[in-house]
Amino acid sequence: MHYHHFLHKDRPVRDVPRSVKVFLILALVMQLLWHNMQEPVVARAEDLPAPLSTRTYVLSSLGEPIAASKFLNLWLQAFDNQPGASISFHQLDYHRLTQWLDTSLELDPRGHYPMLVAARVYGSVKNPEKQRIMMDYVFFKFNQDPNKYWRWLAHVIITAKHELKDYDLALKYANALAEKATGENVPYWAKDMKIIVLEDMGQVEAAKILVGALIDSKQITDPYELNFLKQKIMVLEEKLLKNRQSVEK
Amino acid sequence: MTTQILTIARYTIIESLRNRLLLLTFLVVGISFALVEFIGDLAITEHRVTQVAILAAFLRISAVVMVTLFVVSSTVRELQDKTLEMILAMPIRRGNYYLGKLIGYFYIALLVSVIFSVLLLLYADVEQVFIWMTSLFLELILVVALSLVMLFTFNQLPSALTAVFIIYGASRIVTSIFLMAKFPIIAHTSMAQQFMDAIIELMTWLLPDLHRFTQTEWLTYNTAEWGVLLPLFGQTMVYLIFLSFIALFDFYRKNF
Repeated sequence: MHYHHFLHKDRPVRDVPRSVKVFLILALVMQLLWHNMQEPVVARAEDLPAPLSTRTYVLSSLGEPIAASKFLNLWLQAFDNQPGASISFHQLDYHRLTQWLDTSLELDPRGHYPMLVAARVYGSVKNPEKQRIMMDYVFFKFNQDPNKYWRWLAHVIITAKHELKDYDLALKYANALAEKATGENVPYWAKDMKIIVLEDMGQVEAAKILVGALIDSKQITDPYELNFLKQKIMVLEEKLLKNRQSVEK
Repeated sequence: MTTQILTIARYTIIESLRNRLLLLTFLVVGISFALVEFIGDLAITEHRVTQVAILAAFLRISAVVMVTLFVVSSTVRELQDKTLEMILAMPIRRGNYYLGKLIGYFYIALLVSVIFSVLLLLYADVEQVFIWMTSLFLELILVVALSLVMLFTFNQLPSALTAVFIIYGASRIVTSIFLMAKFPIIAHTSMAQQFMDAIIELMTWLLPDLHRFTQTEWLTYNTAEWGVLLPLFGQTMVYLIFLSFIALFDFYRKNF
């Protein structure tokens, strides 16, 4: 017993005055009562606020724009999952959403994250009006730098063709893709999308002319690509023949 | 003279190890790893870039906070425990004591930079990580010197820490603030605005160019070459000498 202080740094609990122990328990009970008296916290879904200026994010991240951009991407992506409440992408203000995507791209101009979520995540909601906002956004960004953003426009062409069934819009995008994305990094399948859209629209003749022009332009040197296009001409000719036969009948 | 400096440096390093600074460094590495893996699960594209960007920013600020806290708290303890008075009672010049402490803290800064960079090797290109690590070490050298200056000036832990963090933060964003002041949306015409612009410009002259140091872009887009370290080394040397002489000026004037 006498050696207690050699073994333990602290004194035993019984050395604490009784009043201190009582007041400690009383204080704990008071805290619990206080908490019980407060109004319960109700989760409330918040609307997407407008983004601040790019400079504000640069300053608040102590000059780390790329990290700020990546963090904003994740925050925006998780916005439909707020604590205790969930709002669907349908409920988001899509015009405001594009401002956020712009902010993220300004912070990290080399990043493609905002374009991917615009084309694939927000652009795939079952709401044609909102889908069109995202498609317009992707098209707008594509026009700013076609060789950089061509793949996202290719996504949008597929969305326009298969989900919205808006062939005119798909053709408009496919035309832009073929004409403006002329960089070496852009594969021919992306430029060929115009042929597929025309074919789907029933404009087989126009598609055939386009394939022929592509072969004649000597831009395509890859033998597999050339072979594919030649086969495509054959398929299109067959289709054309069938169409003519059905009209004659 | 060299023996004295090295002895002080050696004991500073021993103190850091006994303060479990190394353990804390590994703890931060563990937390960062968990954080970055969680972030990796959230990202739907640019998985690696997102992980590296957030990890690098987190490690950079963690390194600065850890080194500052260690330098300031350890030196304050020496002041309050009268260890410094005991050392200065011996035939040791104040300049040698300062140099010894500085070298000891540099070693700690190097240790923190290396340990943090090892984690980055899992996610980024090796060469870029080495450049980033060297730059972080140079940045921490300035942080160590700044911490000592602020401590000798204020003598108190809260005021010294606050001053270090304000000056460090200002050094990282002063160029952005300067650009905002230089090219405002509405022209600055009033005297007060012009006075503030002049103050901001003065700050750009007096503060180190920390926005050029330890850039996340190097790791995310592999943009750095070894040559980028040359101006950073120059800036570190110039500002280290500047800070050291401020510290020595204050230190030589101090009465114990």
